[in-house]
Amino acid sequence: MKKIGLKRAKEEEDEQKKQSVCEQVLTFNMSPAEEEEGDEDVSDSEESVYSGLEESGSDSEDEPSANQQEGRVLNEEVEQLEERVLNEEEAEQREDEYEKDSSDEEDIRNTVGNVPMDWYKDFPHIGYDLEGRRIYKPIRNKDELDQFLDKMENPEFWRTVCDQQTGSDVVLSEDQLELIKRLQRGQFGDVSFNEYQPSVEFFSREVMIHPVTNRPSDKRSFIPSLTEKDKVSKMVHAIKMGWIKPRRVEDDSRGRYYDLWTNEDSSSILNKHRMHLPAPKLRLPGHEESYNPPPEYLLTEEERALWEQQDPSDRKLPFVPTKFSSLRHVPAFSRFIHERFERCLDLYLCPRQRKLRVNVNPEDLIPKLPKPRDLLPFPTTQSLVYRGHSGLVRSISVSPSGQWLASGSDDGSVRFWEVCSARCVRTVQTGGAVKSVAWNPNPAFCLLAVALDSVVLILAPSLADGHVTSSSERLLKSQQEAEPSEGVSCNWVETKGEELNQWIRLKIGHPKVVHQVTWHSKGDYLASVMPDHSSHLQVLIHQLSRRRSQNPFSRNKGLVQNVSFHPLRPYFFVATQRSVRVYNLLKQQLTKKLQANAKWVSSMAVHPTGDHVICGSYDCRLSWFDLDLSTKPYRMLRHHKKAVRGVAYHRGYPLFASASDDGSVIVCHGTVYSDLLQNPLIVPVKVLRGHVITQDLGVLDVTFHPSQPWLFSSGADGTVRLYT
Amino acid sequence: MSQLQARFFTEDKRYVVDNVPFSIPAASQVQDLSNVINKLLEAKNASHSNLEFDFLVRGQFLRTSLSTHMETENISTEEVVEIEYVERITAPEPEECMMHDDWISSVHANDEWILTGSYDKTARIWSVEGKAVMTVAGHADAVKDVSWGKRDGLSSVLLTASLDQTVLLWEWNSEKNKVKARHCCRGHTGSVDTVSVDPTGTKFCSGSWDKMLKIWSAVPTDEADEEEEEEAADRPRKKQKTQQLGLTRTPLMTFSGHNEAVSSVLWSDNEEVCSASWDHTIRLWDAETGSMKSTLTGSKVFNCISYSPLCRRLASGSSDRHVRLWDPRTKDGSLVLLSLTSHTGWVTAVKWAPSHEHQLVSGSLDHLVKLWDTRSCKAPLYDLAAHEDKVFCLDWTETGLMLSGGADNKLYTYKYSACQTDEGA
Repeated sequence: MKKIGLKRAKEEEDEQKKQSVCEQVLTFNMSPAEEEEGDEDVSDSEESVYSGLEESGSDSEDEPSANQQEGRVLNEEVEQLEERVLNEEEAEQREDEYEKDSSDEEDIRNTVGNVPMDWYKDFPHIGYDLEGRRIYKPIRNKDELDQFLDKMENPEFWRTVCDQQTGSDVVLSEDQLELIKRLQRGQFGDVSFNEYQPSVEFFSREVMIHPVTNRPSDKRSFIPSLTEKDKVSKMVHAIKMGWIKPRRVEDDSRGRYYDLWTNEDSSSILNKHRMHLPAPKLRLPGHEESYNPPPEYLLTEEERALWEQQDPSDRKLPFVPTKFSSLRHVPAFSRFIHERFERCLDLYLCPRQRKLRVNVNPEDLIPKLPKPRDLLPFPTTQSLVYRGHSGLVRSISVSPSGQWLASGSDDGSVRFWEVCSARCVRTVQTGGAVKSVAWNPNPAFCLLAVALDSVVLILAPSLADGHVTSSSERLLKSQQEAEPSEGVSCNWVETKGEELNQWIRLKIGHPKVVHQVTWHSKGDYLASVMPDHSSHLQVLIHQLSRRRSQNPFSRNKGLVQNVSFHPLRPYFFVATQRSVRVYNLLKQQLTKKLQANAKWVSSMAVHPTGDHVICGSYDCRLSWFDLDLSTKPYRMLRHHKKAVRGVAYHRGYPLFASASDDGSVIVCHGTVYSDLLQNPLIVPVKVLRGHVITQDLGVLDVTFHPSQPWLFSSGADGTVRLYT
Repeated sequence: MSQLQARFFTEDKRYVVDNVPFSIPAASQVQDLSNVINKLLEAKNASHSNLEFDFLVRGQFLRTSLSTHMETENISTEEVVEIEYVERITAPEPEECMMHDDWISSVHANDEWILTGSYDKTARIWSVEGKAVMTVAGHADAVKDVSWGKRDGLSSVLLTASLDQTVLLWEWNSEKNKVKARHCCRGHTGSVDTVSVDPTGTKFCSGSWDKMLKIWSAVPTDEADEEEEEEAADRPRKKQKTQQLGLTRTPLMTFSGHNEAVSSVLWSDNEEVCSASWDHTIRLWDAETGSMKSTLTGSKVFNCISYSPLCRRLASGSSDRHVRLWDPRTKDGSLVLLSLTSHTGWVTAVKWAPSHEHQLVSGSLDHLVKLWDTRSCKAPLYDLAAHEDKVFCLDWTETGLMLSGGADNKLYTYKYSACQTDEGA
């Protein structure tokens, strides 16, 4: 096949050679149409190669056609013919020129020739006619108004232009407008001109097997040129002599491109603004995005239902992973635009400002406190529940031996419990809501003070040894006659009969409702509180052995909430609504006034050393005062959600607790150091829950066991609970 | 590791199998092993009836599959495993429920009779069948502890300790069913919480809230000890009462050393008294000289202790949820051998099995009585959930009767049969 092909190609080439010679000669005799017809039997390549020659060679087309057969004449004849034709043609063109020439008449109005028109600017005329008369400009006295009216009324106004040459207005014709438009668009003025007429490439990138010329190379292209040698030797000589300097090499050490702002100082504005924020990166696709994800990535029915219910912003994945058997089945990604848009938003909305975030480990901000585990023992779990009261239990107190617990309730009873078994051993019906109970702290007595209504009862439950019982009896009987002193109207009544069987031994009548009773540590003195704004008679101190009552304060300093004796020294703490006053009982003067920083103090407890006081307040706070340190609280604890009702210190262990209306008791560790320079260590260690909140009241009182790290709490749900 | 080499052995002569190693599946449970033993026994003895067995691997009860157990106990699976098997301890069967009028504070039983103390100030005598025999009334306050004394034919001595700070010594004639208060033991200045008679029955020891331990003679005599003067003068009313109840007796000896109330006392042998207290210590005293021999220190208040002469260990219940085992012979004290944790409240009573060295029973404020085997310390063998309120007292007789009383006024007895079968072990 190849051979045949080659052979055929060769034959064709031979024919081409012959024809090309002929055609060069005969072109003029052929009309283009005929040319094409004649070319039809020739191969395509031939046409493409020579078509350019044909056209470039043809000067005119309107020649009478000639026969192809006639082309086969001698060269001479052809030349003659050619000359003749050319002559004829030239003659024709000259005749046409003379016929049509009308350049003079055309521009008859402008007779001044090619001179700048502004020469005639100040004249009423432009040029002169043949008779030497002035040719006047058209009168142009249109003012703005005329122009405007013209613009409005004349539909031709937009195509009217002023002819500079004559100064007259010319309305442009459609053709002219078309011409202008074409020129404005950058097109040729002539509509018929085809600027994209097919060009004929004479030389193409395709290498032909036949050269354009077959001339052998000249000899001179093989021998070195003497002229060049002469030139080079001259230049070499010139360089040697130093007449020519070699071209200066550009210094590239700084680099062709260099940082203009390298030496900029750091404080300049530019430097401040320059920063690079990398664009937020896209998450790399995972298995979910796969066209054939592992089955665990496919959503189940419920997951899919959930996905559809979810808000688009809440969805974990913005699409549902779908499985296709092959990549061909994957449809077009419908969210493409959306996703691109979101990506653009990400880039666009990414923060342009670098925020300086202080990287502080939150752990570091927490003060170093010992772990609660190291501070054992403290009460951790609820062990016993003392049930029996039907009303809320307002107050509890533990006997100094730690065997008995007394509780006073709104149901009018005082109950005595065995601590270790939660057994109620005594029940005393008092006949009024019990506000406060207090066990005599002296282990030599077994007495309980109970405050209800406007009476303070002294109970002697025979729950101790005979010695103790008898010594309490002695204390109660020692002074028979009461000494009403300084106008304090307190009547001491010894009980008889039925009440004696109820272990009630003494009744101390008060003028007002008693809210709290508390004992001095020796067990002889008893203080009772009757809060009243208007009166100076709010606190009474009773001496049991002499049956004497006295009012220590002659002036009213606010609503007294709570009082307490100093455990070791003759001091007396009085908590009013906002402050705690410390009085020296011997000197009978105010020693200190502690600012509680609270709105309403509810309770107060004095540390067994007497140097520290804690105050609970109705605004959920617990404040610890170090009496040696300041009159301001050393520490405020805001752990409770609701009002703090009761606070207590442990007598032996470094523990204190607070009870609150939110139903919880919070136990804190509070080590006090004898070293004056070291501040107390206060660590909250445990939240104890268990009480049920009833009528918005939670835990009402809290107290510690005297020897064990146990905590008792009484609540509005009528129970007393023991935590160990 | 699907198969293990195991060799089975037992100390029970009735169920001995050949001493050859068997290949058993590592995942086998107790039931599977039990079946294996039963098959072997059947092959040996045609008349053998199916029994449930329990298995011990290195002294620990098997409770999970064999492989997991060996993994947790770090036993090599390469060697032949020695597996001991015992007949499964059957659950104690509840027998009787004896209703009281008030909370039961204490119980003590001998072979025939049960003595209970109650918060209604009385003690009661019951037969083991659950029949009320006698009510012993005389105390002015709740009875906190009771104990049988020496038994002499038909008459037996019984002791009741009370919140009214006295211990009463009674003599009871079981035939005539008459009880007589022989002595009123006065001397404590706090409620007497615990009383214990020595093994010979001649002395008893009492512990009180006043932190003292006192040794008294447990033998009823006809003469009264001298009484302190002041007491008689101060409280004539009380004196009259006590005079009616028998002759006053004063302590032979007083041990002081505890810093808090004494909660439990017992005789570990004829000369040694062991006492537990709220001051977090267990102290051992020489009853002859009255000196303290050693102290075991815990971290919580002790509510009760029990001593087993078989394994010579002390078990204690504290105001937390653990039962702790102590070795009283260690000199340096505070060594807890084992903690048994499953209760959720204070452990108020513990009692060792009188005839089994590994078993004990504990009662707690969480209303449960639990039966333990020290070889399976992770979980109790059985929970006895009969009580509806706090459990205060427990006892376990030689005849295999377990008793528990509590705040629901009920005394439950359980028949516990496994003791006898293990006696041979």
